[in-house]
Amino acid sequence: MLYKLLLPGPIADLSEVRVLEWHGSPGTQFHAGDLVVELDTHKAVVEMRASSHIVLRKILIEPGDWQRVGEPLAIVSDSADEPLPERAEDLAQASATYEMV
Amino acid sequence: MSVEVGNTSRVFFREAICRAVGETLDAEPNAILMGQDVGAFGGSYKEFYGLFERFGPARVRDTPVAESAMVGLGVGAAAAGVRTLVSITYMDFVLLALDPLVNYAAKARFKTGGQIRVPMVVKVTAGAKGQGVAHSQSLESWLMSVPGLQVVAPSNVADAYGLMRSALQADGPVVYVDHKRLFPTSGLLSTLPHEVPFGLAVVSRPGRNATIVTHSYMVSVALAACEQLAVDGIDCEVIDLRSLAPLDLDTICTSVSKTGVLVTLEEGQVVCGVGAEIACRVQARLGPVKVSRLGAVPAPVSSNPVLEAASLPDAARVADAVRHLTTEGK
Repeated sequence: MLYKLLLPGPIADLSEVRVLEWHGSPGTQFHAGDLVVELDTHKAVVEMRASSHIVLRKILIEPGDWQRVGEPLAIVSDSADEPLPERAEDLAQASATYEMV
Repeated sequence: MSVEVGNTSRVFFREAICRAVGETLDAEPNAILMGQDVGAFGGSYKEFYGLFERFGPARVRDTPVAESAMVGLGVGAAAAGVRTLVSITYMDFVLLALDPLVNYAAKARFKTGGQIRVPMVVKVTAGAKGQGVAHSQSLESWLMSVPGLQVVAPSNVADAYGLMRSALQADGPVVYVDHKRLFPTSGLLSTLPHEVPFGLAVVSRPGRNATIVTHSYMVSVALAACEQLAVDGIDCEVIDLRSLAPLDLDTICTSVSKTGVLVTLEEGQVVCGVGAEIACRVQARLGPVKVSRLGAVPAPVSSNPVLEAASLPDAARVADAVRHLTTEGK
């Protein structure tokens, strides 16, 4: 199953943050507790970790780019062989969401 | 690191300050930064993040909780030719450093016939944001009246950078006042080094019916009030002072001569406030105009969030004041 990997929130006072670094690329597998992405906020660098096993499939927000709290940062899936829609709007339809910790 | 749009990049407020300070430490091998938690911690608002690693503990110095000693040391170092930035997290605690700041830093040039200059910047964070009576005050009007002291207060990312650059090039003491509620903001900043000169206010929003003169975080409150007033057909001009001492009376008077209505807005107290000074000087130049001064109610800022909000000006109160003045006598 495909999921949108969401930028969790709300974050007090803040509507948008910047991606600092992805700790993987499309195809990388993460287990619960693994560091997935680091975010720059107004106060600090925040580490986001996987809450269960997932595979990173497509990065939507590259390092240096900004995203709104609650919006997707990437597409992930349960297994590496699930077909990934090519069109961006089909990706956006991935209705399930995945929240990091 | 950041999204580049032409020659600008989008950065957090803290990063604008950090860049200006980092560029100065780079350009002036003598310059130093000191304050509580400015070192490995990177500043109370992470506004000095990475500077300790870049410039080392001799130039980015953690200090004890001793504001008088920090500023005293800063005055001495600056007088000896070491450009110094002293960071005092909460503006409330600049009170502990008033003696070295007022009696030594600000007076040195006068006392020595210009032979001793004090290129020191004291950076303080003003404003109420849930931290109670002694960590919430906006005391900038106390400092505006000190001869020899320059006082600046940015309201946005670009000015945070440009005013810090100017402050760190000044040859006399500067108090740089930022605000707790500005740190979560971000904005576009030119990637090229540049300064915002002191004594130059800016029109943040043009308008015909009333002039709101304000600074720091209250600029956003004024702009929100303008949105409410626009619904009623009242078109307000907002002037962001940026610099309180020196004060840009020309820009204020140009606006007030056009609108005939002056509303001053500050987060500090109204009595002997920034607005009192402006109202007096504008009328000395232009003659009587309709004036309203807005600021905190005459009480300490409460730790109770409901009372804190009740004690400070908000967009609704600003809009009410403007409506009252603009409809008076009609």
